[in-house]
Amino acid sequence: MSTVVAEVLRLHEVRVQFPDALGRPAVALDGISLAVERGEALGIVGEPGSGKTLVALSVLGMVPAPGEVSGSIRLLGHELVGMVEPEWWRVRGRDVAMIFPDARRSLNPIRSVGSQIEEAVHRHYEGYPHAMTRRWVRERTLEALAWAGVSRPRQRFGDYPHQLSGDLRQRVMLALAGANRPPLFVADEPTVGIGDPVQAQVMLHLLRRVLGVAALVLTTRDPGVAAAVCKRVVVIHAGRIVETGPTDRVMTTPRHPYTAELLELAPRTVPADLGRARPGCAYAPRCPNAMEQCRRLRPPLELLEDRLVACWNPWGGEHA
Amino acid sequence: MTGPVLAHEMGLSRRLLPAPAIPTPGLLVGGMVGLLAVAVLGLVGAGIAQEHAAPAQRLLAPGAIGHPLGTDQLGRDVLARTLAGFRWSLVVVLPATLIAGLAGTGLGLAAAASWGWTRVILERATETAAGFPFLVLAAPIVALAGRGYWPLLIVLAILASAPFALAVFDTTWRGRGRTPVADALNALPTALPVVGAFIVADLVVTEACLSFLGVGAPEVAPSWGNMLADARQNVSAAPWILYAPAAALLLTVLSANWFGEGLGQLWRVKTR
Amino acid sequence: MTVASLLFILVRLSGSPAALLAGAGASQAQVRSAHVAYGLDGPILQQYVTFVTRALRLDFGQSPAHHAAAVELVRLRLPATVLLTAAAVAATALVAVSLGVWLGLRADRPEHGWAFRLLLTGQSLPALIVGLVLVQLLGLTPATGARSSLSFTLSALTLTWWLTPRAARLTAGTVAGALRQTWVLTAKAMGATSRDLLWGHVLPNALLAALALVGVQVAFLLSATVVVEWLFGWPGVGDLLAGSLRAMDFPVVEAAMFAIAFLVFATYAMVDLVVAAVDPRLRRRPTPP
Repeated sequence: MSTVVAEVLRLHEVRVQFPDALGRPAVALDGISLAVERGEALGIVGEPGSGKTLVALSVLGMVPAPGEVSGSIRLLGHELVGMVEPEWWRVRGRDVAMIFPDARRSLNPIRSVGSQIEEAVHRHYEGYPHAMTRRWVRERTLEALAWAGVSRPRQRFGDYPHQLSGDLRQRVMLALAGANRPPLFVADEPTVGIGDPVQAQVMLHLLRRVLGVAALVLTTRDPGVAAAVCKRVVVIHAGRIVETGPTDRVMTTPRHPYTAELLELAPRTVPADLGRARPGCAYAPRCPNAMEQCRRLRPPLELLEDRLVACWNPWGGEHA
Repeated sequence: MTGPVLAHEMGLSRRLLPAPAIPTPGLLVGGMVGLLAVAVLGLVGAGIAQEHAAPAQRLLAPGAIGHPLGTDQLGRDVLARTLAGFRWSLVVVLPATLIAGLAGTGLGLAAAASWGWTRVILERATETAAGFPFLVLAAPIVALAGRGYWPLLIVLAILASAPFALAVFDTTWRGRGRTPVADALNALPTALPVVGAFIVADLVVTEACLSFLGVGAPEVAPSWGNMLADARQNVSAAPWILYAPAAALLLTVLSANWFGEGLGQLWRVKTR
Repeated sequence: MTVASLLFILVRLSGSPAALLAGAGASQAQVRSAHVAYGLDGPILQQYVTFVTRALRLDFGQSPAHHAAAVELVRLRLPATVLLTAAAVAATALVAVSLGVWLGLRADRPEHGWAFRLLLTGQSLPALIVGLVLVQLLGLTPATGARSSLSFTLSALTLTWWLTPRAARLTAGTVAGALRQTWVLTAKAMGATSRDLLWGHVLPNALLAALALVGVQVAFLLSATVVVEWLFGWPGVGDLLAGSLRAMDFPVVEAAMFAIAFLVFATYAMVDLVVAAVDPRLRRRPTPP
């Protein structure tokens, strides 16, 4: 799993279903396909409930219990869908690492931050003779803290989460994720829970660091965050991709009406109703551009100029 | 008495009652059925006690004519006395719980509304009071006041105010963050009956224990505690005196606990 | 201290404190001497001060029934109660913790609801009833007691029966709560095995929280202890309290109450110490964020 290939992650027609209260399947992710290369940052943008967190969780095999994942998720060429839990233990933290939001709650309050990072390093350490292990683990941990920009790592090592400022905690979370130098980072809503805009900027800066060594998938509800970090962006709505392309192009001239809405270029009407498989475009009920066809036929993701859009009546297009 | 922060984070009331919200269906219904039975028996009990007031032959074994559960050492019919015990328990415990509820709510709200040192003192005092075993406090007080209905009622009411106050305080204060008054008051109607149910269970047991020890209900009152004391005295001669009051006590406590737990789960589930 | 003060108020209120303190059936002369000895002839505030100072010196006066210093009686019996309580707590720890952890880990599966119902039912059985049933089954006459291993075993058993369901429910609750915490997810996302998670992140936090909660239950255990000791004749402070209440022997009542209050606060103090020692947030002042 450590051969140097350009493509780190590829999702193909990934679906996630949950049984609803009556046991019928409710589709939360409906055919997601995307790819990320080394050194690249891909942003997944959508409103809460659109399914972006599920994308992140599915890459880590942490989709909550009754959910079922189908399709293909290839990490460095290795198929993740269908793996059993013990196989996941080798993958998580080593081949892919997640950065959780809300660092305050994401670290065990009764253990030092150093010990928690060491735990992750120790789990995945390979090859060193036993006598060297502890020192090696400690060295790696300190390296990780330094890489994340934690000053005086040796002192911070023994600190407890509540003793650290919010900024430091974020860095610790990053150090934790990066401790084993995974080729893929997944950051789920990294700025949610950070009240202070300055700290939010810090977080984004940290994420850019990641790109020097690995690939990054970032989910967010705020297009600005995606714009700050990611070269490419995927816009997701009701479990489907509606638009994807280079960030600067998509953000300045969105072609899907939902993207326009997210960027507040279009009015918002009714919140999305997930779960029920509908025949047409999921966005149709809210869409100002909606045509008759939109309600009947689901638009495929097709190339339009410099990006892919799933829309019968794109924004700013001929029909508008 | 520093509060355990961890428990608080896990959503458990750090100082009080019901613990895990492991979904357990059937508690609420079971509890309600039980309580209904208790209420009915209580009402019935009054009437029957009157009928069988006349003492009969002493220490009759169960199965005798007119005395299906036997009689005790003074010739009183066990069944009748047990049924009367329902009424006695309800008459003691329910008013006590209501008074305690009112007083406790007032205290708790006052404590939550105050600030600074006042609040800290009030909070600590309530915590201490609620954390102290009921029986140990109640026993000497009642003993001093003499056996009787009123001392018992008042003492139980006063003691039970503390857990109520604590619950109200916890509900309206919510640790560090201050919830707006409207939210806090909204939370009360769900919290109070749950607390009340558990308090009822506790008080029934406490009353029985007090009477058992001889410092609660007057000798002649049909308290189950008294009956249990009689049972203890006559273990060899009349072992049957134990069963009926024990079963009655058990039914009451069980129903109240199930009801409280079931209600707590129902409403916590809703508000989650 | 508060307890003692409360008692003071009540005794005074009862109208003829001297008579009470001297004990039922005391002669007039005895009552008068008690009156002086207890300083009842001074103003009320002075009485309170006297009372408090005497209490601090553990001087509760003479027991008229036993003709000995009240504090001595308590002192003799205190170890017995501590022993009993410790035994019950130890036994409970073994059973309740394992049970609680097992149940807590399966908290999200409704098919285990029966266990929970069972625990709640077990908790609803008053110690009084359990004890009496045991007495009945074994045909014990009220005379059994006085340090016999039988009375100890039965008392400990009954108290364990009382404490276990409560402790198990609380433990299950904290374990279930701990499982839901975000840091468990973080550790899992870093590749922690289920075992790592359990021993490294779930149990330490859950058990710590449970300890604090169970501490409260142990304080309540002392209530049951009074009844149980008296029932089985185990010569502890609870039994003393019960007996002295019936005999209206107030110096002893005061002393016994004081002792029990002491035990209650000692329990809370111990638990708080342990929790503070382990939870870093309670240990030091947090550096400002």
